[in-house]
Amino acid sequence: MAQFPSLDWFREVRDVYNSDSTLHKGGGGACHTTAAFRVDGKEYLIQFEGTKIGDIRNATAAELQDVDFVIDMPFGLWKEMISNVQKNGKAERRYTLNSIDLSQADGIAHSPSDDQYRQDLFYRYNQNFQDYFDASARVETTF
Amino acid sequence: MAKPPRGGMAVPAAVSEGADAAAQSVEGVPEPTYEWMGLSAEWGVRVKPGEHGLRIGDLNVGIYGEVPEVWDDQTRRPRGALPRPGVPPLAYNLRAKHQLWADSAANLYEEAIQRRWIPATEVPWESLQPLPDDVERAMCQVCTELMQYANTEIEIITYWQDQMSYGYYEVKQFLATATFDCARMIEALRKRALANGGGLGVEGRGLVNRMILESRGGWTESAVYLYLIRGTFTMHVLRGLLNAAHNDAERTIFAHAIEDQARHLTYGYDHIKYAIAHRAGEADIIQTLLSLGEVMMGAELEESTIKPALAIVFGGGIAGGRTIGMETYLHLVGDFVRNYLAVCEWIGVPRAEMLHPLLKKYLEY
Repeated sequence: MAQFPSLDWFREVRDVYNSDSTLHKGGGGACHTTAAFRVDGKEYLIQFEGTKIGDIRNATAAELQDVDFVIDMPFGLWKEMISNVQKNGKAERRYTLNSIDLSQADGIAHSPSDDQYRQDLFYRYNQNFQDYFDASARVETTF
Repeated sequence: MAKPPRGGMAVPAAVSEGADAAAQSVEGVPEPTYEWMGLSAEWGVRVKPGEHGLRIGDLNVGIYGEVPEVWDDQTRRPRGALPRPGVPPLAYNLRAKHQLWADSAANLYEEAIQRRWIPATEVPWESLQPLPDDVERAMCQVCTELMQYANTEIEIITYWQDQMSYGYYEVKQFLATATFDCARMIEALRKRALANGGGLGVEGRGLVNRMILESRGGWTESAVYLYLIRGTFTMHVLRGLLNAAHNDAERTIFAHAIEDQARHLTYGYDHIKYAIAHRAGEADIIQTLLSLGEVMMGAELEESTIKPALAIVFGGGIAGGRTIGMETYLHLVGDFVRNYLAVCEWIGVPRAEMLHPLLKKYLEY
């Protein structure tokens, strides 16, 4: 059983995502971006490489400055989102990344370099990120 | 009926196996000409696929990758091909790079091809369920207006696309996908409106549509209205509709629509930023255009039927539309205006100090 948040958890979800193309609803899974998820004071760097997710590791400060965008929300909200996915097999409407982003005053996705082009990747590939987190329904999770 | 006279030459018999083709010339068939065979501006090119396959951006090698600041050729000559003397000019009036270019266009073209979707079979239409009459009417009204947004985008892109030089073919290619995206959007919204017991609503007055369609000062001017003002607003509407989706069919439509719209905005913002960076005085021109555009956008927000229709969708009915639905709508518009200001700042045309009061008032939400 993997604990959220941890490298093991993010990697287990990646392995599920990479092994089953039926989980890829957005663009046949094709996605080219490097993002980071900030959870409970730690940043996890994730590389989407075409139809696969590649390396996932803790981001260094320098790497963090160079990602396309960071998804950042309070731990409680991460937990609610992951729990909702676990319970329903995929995020219900109010727990999708789009809905959570709309519900937060400043949104949850930000480009560290204030680059609108890179920020827009969050929307251009939105379904891929949702597909990734929906894949966590198959990973037994503790918090 | 009289039999039309048959003209032309008989098709020569295929060269039989083992026969000498050169010796089998057919009487009456002219010899092929070969003068063109040695004519190429650059020969022997072998582009290799990269990690994402063989993309059009990868083809920019040697002379084929020389994208000039000005493309004087008014013919359909593909960039890198040899010109043929005597070809009459066509009305390609956009011949300077700053008038249409965006560095992202080639990649966005590939992305659009890769992320194509099929409303007929990929939208789970069976998930549609009857909605309360007021909500169904509001959804159908929203679909009707968004279809008009999409056909406006098609019309203005194709108007200018016709005038864009082939020296900047990456942009023409991308915009071809953008018009197809819009056609697909119309298809999906029309199907949504006609598949759940409703029908199309009433035509919107279309103040901003008209502003976009009447922008004739150049493609950049149209892009300012189409992407920076209308497109940014549309993005927020689509995100709001995904958030309020009643079923998986709507969820699928709006999730895809957001990604399509995001590509269009990426090109639009990128192009406007490029135009400002590469043409003296462009920022001042765009400031003036935005002053005019904000008035029209503000006026449309006041009177458009999309306002009450979205409020009803967000509020789950007329009653909710008067309270939480309208509040949600006003927040959506507030988010649009904040986003618009941020993008203007990034592009190089800060508007915070000059924002028209008709839009400024939404900043309180």
